[in-house]
Amino acid sequence: MLEIRSARKVFYKGQADEKVALDGLKLSLATGEFGVVIGSNGAGKSSMLNAISGALVLDSGQVVINGDDVTAMPVHKRAMRLARVFQDPMRGTAASMTVAENMLLAELRSNKRTLRRGLNTTRLATYKERLSLLGLGLENRLDTRVELLSGGQRQSLSLIMAVGGEPELLLLDEHTAALDPRTADIVMQATIRAVEALKLTTLMVTHNMQHAVDFGHKVIMLDAGRVRLEIDGKEKAQTTVPELIGHFSVKTDRMFLAS
Amino acid sequence: MDILQNTIASFVSLVPVTLAQSLILAFVVLGIMIPFRMLSFPDLTSEGAFPLGGCVCGVLMAAGMSPLAAIAIALVAGFVAGCCTAFIHLRFRIHTLLAGILMMTMLYSINLRIMGRSNLSVFGATTVFDWAPGLQPGFPASKIVVAGLIALVVFFVLYHFFRTEKGTAVRAVGANPDMAEAQGINVWLATIGGVGLAGAFSAGSGALMVQSQGFADVNMGLGILINGLAALMIGEAIVGKQSVLRQLAAPFVGAIVYYQLVSFCLAAGMPPPDLKLATGLFVLAMLALPSLKRSRGPAPARETVRE
Repeated sequence: MLEIRSARKVFYKGQADEKVALDGLKLSLATGEFGVVIGSNGAGKSSMLNAISGALVLDSGQVVINGDDVTAMPVHKRAMRLARVFQDPMRGTAASMTVAENMLLAELRSNKRTLRRGLNTTRLATYKERLSLLGLGLENRLDTRVELLSGGQRQSLSLIMAVGGEPELLLLDEHTAALDPRTADIVMQATIRAVEALKLTTLMVTHNMQHAVDFGHKVIMLDAGRVRLEIDGKEKAQTTVPELIGHFSVKTDRMFLAS
Repeated sequence: MDILQNTIASFVSLVPVTLAQSLILAFVVLGIMIPFRMLSFPDLTSEGAFPLGGCVCGVLMAAGMSPLAAIAIALVAGFVAGCCTAFIHLRFRIHTLLAGILMMTMLYSINLRIMGRSNLSVFGATTVFDWAPGLQPGFPASKIVVAGLIALVVFFVLYHFFRTEKGTAVRAVGANPDMAEAQGINVWLATIGGVGLAGAFSAGSGALMVQSQGFADVNMGLGILINGLAALMIGEAIVGKQSVLRQLAAPFVGAIVYYQLVSFCLAAGMPPPDLKLATGLFVLAMLALPSLKRSRGPAPARETVRE
């Protein structure tokens, strides 16, 4: 379960270019729920994900994961509970290390790291099996440095790494935006399979309205650092792409008026 | 032909001495390689940590302490120096190179304070090299055996460490600090520990050097960094750096080859004052080579270095 309580964050406070990134944001996601976050650029989507992962320190408000207040925890401590896939395939993997080593790092995310041998035969076999599910041939390239993989392969690897440890919370930050349509589709299908199979509590940011309509239990629209609209249940099942886009245009008009 | 013969004769006669020296200095090269390659943290602390180790070891030996204990304390001093550099970088967001320069400048004064004067003779004191089994103390052979054994042990321990779960995490910090943090790795701890370890190796090298040459000098670190870097470049050119094994072997191979090369140049009549210029030009050439190649071929994956 994820709960954000009145999160507030202001950048460049007191300066001419002061920017309110999160303005009393409230959001909750039940265990096993899949929320899709939409919103125009600058609406606070990234700030929200950063606040959840710990990369952004809130001015006020709390982030609660499964009942525990994690607001004061640094990124590496929160990593025991949550996993994140970034938009940029380069950010989620260690380029100069091999596929297997990256898998190992992800596996150890929620465990204590010991002085035992990292890549043993049992682990390598598990990684092979898990990567073969993607159908990209990564299982035969365990010893390849990640920098030699294509963007799509790297992103697929990031995804497998993220869902591997069955995190309490999965954050997807426009994770298919940088990929070509076909690869984006493969990565998206793999995401849905994993999320459904493992019943992961998931928060996905996307600019793809079709994805927002097709996937997830609820759509959350952010605007100016707060939740503007939440559609779930039956209503979500009936939403169409034009309707969602309609909500954007209303907001855009208002933005024009405000500026 | 006479000149060539003389050159070769004097070079060959110097091979054992140079080998002993290079095995001792291989630890500084290791202390330069670990932050630079494993942590993407270009570090200059070794220029101060090397004489620090030497000074600490010299003072303690002059006070009658056993050579092994003197080395141990020198290692601790170097570790602390490395930790300080890493902390300055992480806490105050000062560029790693500047943090290193600050540290090595401050260490110069500290080294003088430790010794109380600019040099100190420990000639005649028992050294670790006197314990070489079955060899006459004081000769290059005993130094080669002792330094070589230490090098072998350090090499295998490090090789094992960097393949453990913890070691893999440390390497991840160098490869992609953001990703490492997102995978639950404490970047601060890994960086401080890693740079500290490197400082300990540099200081250990200084301590061994003092025991080998019989005196400590505050200026003994002058130019050690650029020599070490040159040795590292040569090592990487010979054995490569694609795997942990190769990357760890590079400092040792590089140190051995580099110091023989220097010895050959000197034997061939190169004036010693020109040595630093030659070394600098060599390092420059090795560092510039990839970018010269790149302008023709396809751009390789970017090597990230911390700001």
